[in-house]
Amino acid sequence: MSVPPAGTAGPSLIGEDAANLIADAMFALSAPSRVQILGCLVDGPLAVGEITALLGMEQSAVSHQLRVLREADLVRVERDGKRRVYALSGDAVGELLTAAWHLAGQGEPAQGQPASSRRRKAAGGAEG
Amino acid sequence: MRARATRPGHGAGSDEVTAVTFGPAADRRNAADRAHRGDLEGALGVISAFDTGPRRGAGRRLAALTAVLGPGLVVMAADNDAGGISTYAQAGQDYGVRIAWLVALLVPVLFVCQEMAARLGAVTGAGHARLITARFGRRWGGFALADLLALNLLTLVTEFVGVSLSLGYFGISRLVSVPVAAAFLIAVTVPGSFRGWERAMYVLIAASLAAVPLAAIAWAHRGPAAAGAATATATAHGGAVLLAVALVGTTVAPWQLFFQQSNVVDKRITTRFLGYERADTALGTVLFAVGALGVLLACAFALGPAGLHGAFTDAATTARGLRTQAGGAAGALFAIVLGAGSVLGASAVTLATSYAVGDYFGLRHSLHRRWREARTFHRTYAACVLAAAAVVLIPQVPLGLLTTAVQALAGILLPSATVFLLLLCNDREVLGPLVNPRWLNVLAATVIGALLGLSALLTATTIVPRLPLTPAVTGLEVAIAVLAAGATLIAIRARPAPAPAPADRRTWTMPPIESLRPPARSPWRTLGLVVLRCYLLAAIIALAVRAIQLALGAG
Repeated sequence: MSVPPAGTAGPSLIGEDAANLIADAMFALSAPSRVQILGCLVDGPLAVGEITALLGMEQSAVSHQLRVLREADLVRVERDGKRRVYALSGDAVGELLTAAWHLAGQGEPAQGQPASSRRRKAAGGAEG
Repeated sequence: MRARATRPGHGAGSDEVTAVTFGPAADRRNAADRAHRGDLEGALGVISAFDTGPRRGAGRRLAALTAVLGPGLVVMAADNDAGGISTYAQAGQDYGVRIAWLVALLVPVLFVCQEMAARLGAVTGAGHARLITARFGRRWGGFALADLLALNLLTLVTEFVGVSLSLGYFGISRLVSVPVAAAFLIAVTVPGSFRGWERAMYVLIAASLAAVPLAAIAWAHRGPAAAGAATATATAHGGAVLLAVALVGTTVAPWQLFFQQSNVVDKRITTRFLGYERADTALGTVLFAVGALGVLLACAFALGPAGLHGAFTDAATTARGLRTQAGGAAGALFAIVLGAGSVLGASAVTLATSYAVGDYFGLRHSLHRRWREARTFHRTYAACVLAAAAVVLIPQVPLGLLTTAVQALAGILLPSATVFLLLLCNDREVLGPLVNPRWLNVLAATVIGALLGLSALLTATTIVPRLPLTPAVTGLEVAIAVLAAGATLIAIRARPAPAPAPADRRTWTMPPIESLRPPARSPWRTLGLVVLRCYLLAAIIALAVRAIQLALGAG
């Protein structure tokens, strides 16, 4: 989606319905664990068990958050033979994550970063 | 430049970023649906999400109260639903004014239970089903959800029976009244306006206040022997006890806990409005007492002296009896109270279901959302309404038996719901400084003990219909009640904690639910829950067997 340059378009350009949809998508991104799950899926689809192993979260928590992400259309389910795997619903989600990463003042995205920052938080250190 | 919210007590670390601590209520509040955040939009007023200043002056406090009012009023008015009105009418007709003390006894029980549910909603921002799942695991959450769904669907059928009896009094066929009521129930939720829904409920609440003129008319028409007649009838003691159980079963039902907690969350009531929400619950309790006593006294005044003790059959007969004894106005007012209560009950019961489903599965669930924004929420709601309406329209379904069975089932399931309620209200991760004070725990444990005792009695009489109420049986019930109360108190014994700062109590809110520390594992608590679950299963099987026996015997 292209954001109109400042000054050229009034606030009416994003209609109420679209604004609601965007806010719903951003709400889905508003929990650290859901951001981490999306981060796991950037490099390709994964099954619930794989995400659970990567993040060290409980399986029920991962399933719950995946359902929230699915409802916001950020993630979709695919069949890989007999397995159910979860994938980002489109390239836009990956771009959104990268943009959010930069917005939050992090450097270049690196493998495994989300999981390690989570461990720091659990240990009582600084958030983020 | 960047502001980051930090949890109090979890130092922000000494990095170069300035950490700004928001009021915890601002951004770190748990929310399952974005629609649960934003302006508080009540039927009678709005409080902007940015309006966080203190409420000074009587005028501003009153404005805040009128905006917050709602969940408590609706849940308590909906308590006087089809099952409730029939039971109060029966109590008044069969036992006269002297049974009114039982309603007075139920008032504090109702307030204590609903206050705890409302507090959980305001402080945690999560529904009851989600909290049980998060703190006790998916299995217990699933059990609680399954119990609720089954019981709510059956209760909904009784609400439609109430609608058909009510409008039947005015000569409207149930083939018309039931579909119209179903269409109305769906029409007030589909537009996705919380205010619109609440306004519709307020209209029904106003209609249910017809119980007051009803009682007045019946008082004016009371027979000369009103005082003495009731005591003259030698009614079996066992009958009175059973009626007491039914009264408790219809008055304090599990759906009310789920409904009020989720409705408080959906209305965006937060910790700082907790005082107003308590006032809402208290006013609702008054509404309950007025409606229940109005119907009970009207039937006691008008029908008792007419020699109609023990002649109660159903609410339609009561309406006709009131017409004969106290005039057409009394009959019509009773039918209006019954109809309004049934529709209110239907709406609240169905919402309890669809809130809980959305809550448990992490799907959107809010009256602020339109159909296409929360499909599962609205589909669950519509499916329940249509299924229950269809059951009522099928001829040959034993509706009277169904109503009795629903009350018994509600009575059986209630104790388990209140046990979870009390455990959650003592969980410091969930309620922080707002956990139950000790006196409330003692009171609540006593109530749970009494409910379990009554529930056991109900189960026993369901299995053995002619169970004699000998001192041995009664003693056993009391022993069960005392044991249950004691076990509950042991299970929730709170570890001593530092006294919270008063400011903390005004704003504390539960952080996102996935960030909570897992609860301490206690084998004794698990054992208690397992025993309770086994008892429930046995009771439900006994009830089902008995109901099938009766249905086959009747058919």
